[in-house]
Amino acid sequence: MAAQNRRDFLKTMGIIGVTAAGFSTSTTKAQEKFKLSEDRIGVLVDTTVCIGCRNCEWACKKVHDLPAGSLEEYNDRSVFENKRRPDEHALTVVNEFENPDNVLLPVDVKVQCMHCEEPACVSACIVNAYTKHPEGPVTWDSDKCIGCRYCMVACPWQIPAFEYDKAIQPNIMKCDFCYDRQQEGKLPACVEICPEEALIFGKRRDLIEIARQKIKREPDRYVDHILGENEVGGTSWLYLAGQNFSKLDFPKLGTDPAPGVTEKIQHGIFAYFIPPISLYALLGGIMWINRGKSKSKEV
Amino acid sequence: MKITLKILFVILLSAASVFPQQKKNTKHSMLNIDCKTCHACQYPTTDDPCLKSCPRLKMVTVYRSPDEAPAITVLNELENKYEPVVFPHRLHAQMSEISGGCITCHHYNTLGPVLPCKRCHSTERKREDVSKPDLMGAYHQQCLTCHRQWSHKTECVSCHKPKVKGKKLNIEQKILSYKQKKHPQIKEPTRIIFETEYKKGKIVTFYHNEHTKLFGLKCVNCHKEENCLRCHDVKNASNQNPAYYDTPVKIHLPKDQHHKICMKCHRENNCSFCHKNKVSETFDHGLRTGWKLNRFHKDLSCKQCHKHGNRFVKRPTACNSCHPDWKPGTFDHKITGLILDDNHSDIDCEDCHIDRDFSKKPTCNNCHDDKSFPKDKPGKED
Ligand code: SF4
Repeated sequence: MAAQNRRDFLKTMGIIGVTAAGFSTSTTKAQEKFKLSEDRIGVLVDTTVCIGCRNCEWACKKVHDLPAGSLEEYNDRSVFENKRRPDEHALTVVNEFENPDNVLLPVDVKVQCMHCEEPACVSACIVNAYTKHPEGPVTWDSDKCIGCRYCMVACPWQIPAFEYDKAIQPNIMKCDFCYDRQQEGKLPACVEICPEEALIFGKRRDLIEIARQKIKREPDRYVDHILGENEVGGTSWLYLAGQNFSKLDFPKLGTDPAPGVTEKIQHGIFAYFIPPISLYALLGGIMWINRGKSKSKEV
Repeated sequence: MKITLKILFVILLSAASVFPQQKKNTKHSMLNIDCKTCHACQYPTTDDPCLKSCPRLKMVTVYRSPDEAPAITVLNELENKYEPVVFPHRLHAQMSEISGGCITCHHYNTLGPVLPCKRCHSTERKREDVSKPDLMGAYHQQCLTCHRQWSHKTECVSCHKPKVKGKKLNIEQKILSYKQKKHPQIKEPTRIIFETEYKKGKIVTFYHNEHTKLFGLKCVNCHKEENCLRCHDVKNASNQNPAYYDTPVKIHLPKDQHHKICMKCHRENNCSFCHKNKVSETFDHGLRTGWKLNRFHKDLSCKQCHKHGNRFVKRPTACNSCHPDWKPGTFDHKITGLILDDNHSDIDCEDCHIDRDFSKKPTCNNCHDDKSFPKDKPGKED
């Protein structure tokens, strides 16, 4: 909820920024495309296959040096009573939803960073702490971060979390697609442990083809929608489901890349300093006119 | 070492019985599909069937009997971490009869031998072709879809016993315990009274026990896409309380589906055959067909006389239509419980059995004025 408010706030800021930019100059820099490899990787999450064992949650914590506890503790299904979001203690979480077609087979949905093709967080970060790698992952460098938390507001999926309870050097935390493991030729920890292979790791273009085939083969099992194929310009993590994604708590997002808004803010306010100056000039002008008006009234 | 060899033996054994070259079901001509569905080349041969790799768009599957399945399959892919999983294969095949058959797991199983999962599903998670799950995914997707429905649990140890140092899982004992396991007893309702929407006859009384015991239908003849829980879920009132069906219940499937099942046999009956305004009585051969079953016929199963197909068509009632060797002179009267004496053994049946109606009491009047059956008998009882 807090993130939502912050986002609303930043949107307003964005509008002011854009307006200001509009006043000052018509040469807003065209949006930079991220360099992406043809063979970039992704994960296809088949929510009709996931059993909610939460092994992925455990494995994720293990490899990210977060307190994980024992794997047995994750058999406790009472956590599903409340919907959870990824945070600084758990970079991925699994939520459970009712299945309208079969009460005995609930739907489990793993949530983590979607690793957007055109990530808003990368654009929003004013110190370039984020990197969108051509192979897909969006990673983050704690040494560069100044803690402004713009990425949290910018993210359309509400993923980056902040270590609020850390006084010294708090970090932004989010799934890094196990980038380091991948560099070593290993799979992301969640993909490796998933007993069901509900998380299919492969080239993004192959995964989209596989997802299409799955829908075609079993039209009764899946809704005809691959979440992440086009949302906010596409994401590395893709989802298949047996029911509408809005019922599984996914935000309804358009196909326009989210960075559009935030990038304009950055370019408008930080990259060029002209817009704010013209804004001041404009405001000054208005004040000056108003002053004149009130003066004439006094007379 | 000994144990490993034994396991290997069991695996080989089970593998051998997974691939019996069955003659039935192996005719390509019986399949009404395009060859290209499965084969990539124009002229597939036994040596090079050029099968398209799975998943194919269309699942072509051939019915297999559960008896073809090996009794036990031992899965030991994770031998470093867990004890082997002893999987009662045939038991599962039998259970699957009621909910889709072998194809529930052995999808894309065409005319050739039934393939083990390993043939198509890779043991590597990191691989090029991810169009089908790896072996771990394939196993778990199959097992857990059902198992988590009744246990509501997903923990590994339900199937995988962790390896304990110095302790070994007694596989033989486990196999033995599965061998003795039978499909749990099902409490079958005697009858179900359905309340339907049909105005001219709202009540359909379905005698469940007659259909299974008397008419010889198997569960799978009607129950096809059934979830095991339908009969085994202890929380389900209808499974626990025999009186549950004494009051009318609403139909649970769409009308058409109910009809489809019944029509398999009752296609020549009109609506009022089942749809009545009151609860019907049990089946009575005499009332229904006009031919009362005598003491010898009463205990026969329907199929012993109505041998043709699944339906019970009218049979001629003359004795020798079923008993072709029963002719005057050769008929051994002893089987009726009465050994005819010399005076009676050679006379025509009709002399005592008027109009050859053997369901009626025989008469003595044709020859004797002073005798009557059963007070007087033309011989001695056996
Ligand atoms: S490990 Fe796989 S099956 Fe288990 S909760 Fe995670 S995604 Fe679902």
